[in-house]
Amino acid sequence: MQSIRNSISSHIRLRGSAEQFLFPRRGNVFKQLHRQMCTSAGTSPDKIMDRVIGLVKKVDKIDATKVILYVKKRVTETADSQKDLCLDSLDRVELVMAFEEEFSIEIPEEKADKLTCCVDVARYIVSGGEQKNVNPE
Amino acid sequence: MSVATATYLVRRAAQKERVRILYRRALKDTLNWAVHRHLFYEDADLLRARFETNKHVEDPDTIDRLIADGEVQYNKWRHPDPYIVPWAPGGSKFTRNPAPPEGIEIVYNYGREDND
Repeated sequence: MQSIRNSISSHIRLRGSAEQFLFPRRGNVFKQLHRQMCTSAGTSPDKIMDRVIGLVKKVDKIDATKVILYVKKRVTETADSQKDLCLDSLDRVELVMAFEEEFSIEIPEEKADKLTCCVDVARYIVSGGEQKNVNPE
Repeated sequence: MSVATATYLVRRAAQKERVRILYRRALKDTLNWAVHRHLFYEDADLLRARFETNKHVEDPDTIDRLIADGEVQYNKWRHPDPYIVPWAPGGSKFTRNPAPPEGIEIVYNYGREDND
């Protein structure tokens, strides 16, 4: 009996604390949920940039040290993926496919050719997200 | 630069473009055929290896033949129902809730504009 009472009271206390946590900023909670669910739409350009760079870093063939050097020089964002990172054309295709999957967008073949550096990719994703946001409204 | 080298370079550029597009489509199709992610990784490695075997072929005619061969194989194994990003043309969310045309808006006090 005692144990049941304890468990119930602890449960209620937990619920109370959760409500205290949720109530004063319920709108914020929903906003946060919304933000977490829309991975591609509601993020800032900086976050998109970070995710793009993170994806580039994950490619096996790129030396981690090289990327670190680039980050220190702040060149990563404008590094030409073909020349600076020693990628060949097929690697670039794979990278573009990784971007497509990460941000769940479709990059047409002509566009995929022109995306040489991370800045281009981030800019393209941001512009695509804006178009997507404008359309349903 | 002589005309011959120029035409050769143009031809090589066109071949590179074709190979890139073929690889992109084949890679996407590999993902379509793969039931699980870990199966896709092995298939993608195999595909990459098949492209890499002919990496150092120099003769343009041979390259053309190889590319045509690859395109025939790709067309043969094309997936009948490929994955489309939901909001891309053909996707499940394409033109769902389309934006209304210009000049059309919701009037909230409908039916009372003239009387009141």
